[in-house]
Amino acid sequence: MEVTQKTISRRSLIGNIGKGATLAVAATALPSPVKAAVDQKSVHYAMVIDARKCTGCHACSVACKAEFEVPLGVHRSWVEYVEKGTYPNVSRSFLPRLCNQCSEPDCVSVCPTGATYKREEDGIVVVDSDLCIGCKYCMQACPYDVRFINPNTGTVEKCDFCLHRVTQGLEPSCVNTCQGRARIFGDLNDPTSEVAKLVATEPVTVLRQEMGTKPNVFYIGADHSDESDLRVPGQYVRVDTHRPIQERR
Amino acid sequence: MLDLNWGLPVIGYLFLAGVGAGAFTVSSSVLLRGGGFSSDHFSVARYGALLAPIPMMVGTGLIILELGTFQAAIANGDIGLFFRWINLFLTINMSPMSIGSWVLGLCILVSLIYAYTFLSKESAPDDDKKGLRQALAWVGIPLGISVAIYTGVMLGATPARPFWNSPVLALLFLISALSTGVAGILLLRALFGGHNPSQKMGTQSESANAPNRATYLLASSDSLLIGAEILTVFLFIMFAHLTIGNPAQAVSIILPGGELATLFWVGVVAVGLVIPVLIELRYVIPTLLYRQPYAMPRGVEMAVCVVILIGGFMLRYVVVVAGQLTGPMGI
Repeated sequence: MEVTQKTISRRSLIGNIGKGATLAVAATALPSPVKAAVDQKSVHYAMVIDARKCTGCHACSVACKAEFEVPLGVHRSWVEYVEKGTYPNVSRSFLPRLCNQCSEPDCVSVCPTGATYKREEDGIVVVDSDLCIGCKYCMQACPYDVRFINPNTGTVEKCDFCLHRVTQGLEPSCVNTCQGRARIFGDLNDPTSEVAKLVATEPVTVLRQEMGTKPNVFYIGADHSDESDLRVPGQYVRVDTHRPIQERR
Repeated sequence: MLDLNWGLPVIGYLFLAGVGAGAFTVSSSVLLRGGGFSSDHFSVARYGALLAPIPMMVGTGLIILELGTFQAAIANGDIGLFFRWINLFLTINMSPMSIGSWVLGLCILVSLIYAYTFLSKESAPDDDKKGLRQALAWVGIPLGISVAIYTGVMLGATPARPFWNSPVLALLFLISALSTGVAGILLLRALFGGHNPSQKMGTQSESANAPNRATYLLASSDSLLIGAEILTVFLFIMFAHLTIGNPAQAVSIILPGGELATLFWVGVVAVGLVIPVLIELRYVIPTLLYRQPYAMPRGVEMAVCVVILIGGFMLRYVVVVAGQLTGPMGI
């Protein structure tokens, strides 16, 4: 699974976008971020989301809500719709979102109480709700906006790859429920696992790679278009986040 | 109010901690160095010392209001959550907020004892608390600077918030803290005017020669600080604006046409920096260049201090809000 690693600097990446290439093209052309994510841990959980198979049915969002009794208005996992183009050349694609369980998590390095940390044994980033004081610093530091304050407890929560299920040998609830088999979960350090094979053979991308967080959620065929691409002349892009917060931030 | 994770309590805290830390640093520095204040230095230091802990404590109170656990404690009546913030002081790590909390706690403690050494109206440069006072002042300078600077480092340590993620921000907050600290001291002097404990020590004639010397020095150093702040604001904007991508996109929110442009250019730059520095220079320059007696009317002095403080608040407001309204481009 050796992948040729060409470094592409953030400036040249963004420069390309500025020159008018769409973000989707730029991101697909990126070198695979896989090598960075693979290390010598015994288990290294990762998820591959095949956006080509996603139909935007929200089954994962619902399963997640049910699994954790996530309060109204906040989400551990959600699906964004990306519409773009001008008639008749239009597309609509779906981008399931969840915590990226980054290998270099910014949220962990800013947490003042040590409540959020990356588990040594499997690389899952978790929040200890007994230590969390709800200062929201991690919410500022997360480039993916996956963290929220649980209004009932006042502490920060986010997706933890269904730690309680995964440690029992089950798949995360969203993976279990996905009717299109768009979500694939497994151990990246096990070369025989489906995620490892997909990540090794498919042109996977991660979200906001330029942030340097080394995400462990990989996308196949994801449309990385954003409203900021509206600057491209004649391009129409609309993103529906299906969250109270309508903007991606 | 906008849907912000960090709202008015945090903005108020960043401002008040800056005023307190600035006043503490200035007071300690004036006490130790004397500077050109001669016999007035003790009175200036006293105003700064008595002021410093108050805004820092009020600000710390405010920031607790913003904690999710505290809000949940009020909403659900869960007593156990009220004091969850104690967790901050059960550990220390490399998070700017962790280091900042410890430094802030220490700074409040030291500034309280420091203020205590000045509390008595009879306190004088050579009384029995001199040793303690000077020792605390030596600690006070680095502590005050640390508190003032950590707030900027804390915001700056987040690549996900390109508006904040600038090394210039910490410097901007530090200079703003010093300048608002000086404004706070000047305002107190103008309000409670002229009570100079050292005059009772027989140095009356000396200070009578230059009754406004201390005010002049404070106003001129404040205009110097504001000058440096204008320069830093310029650097902050230019370095972001000249970058391609996220920082340039983020800073455009305060540039002409941006959502916060009016607030920034009127509230921060005009009201907070340009107008007060012009008024101060109007009175400082004749004294500086032509040795004319310094005579800023007390009303003007108070007004200048008030707008500087408003400007300091507006700076924190614009920075905190702008950082949260902007984000990285694309996904």
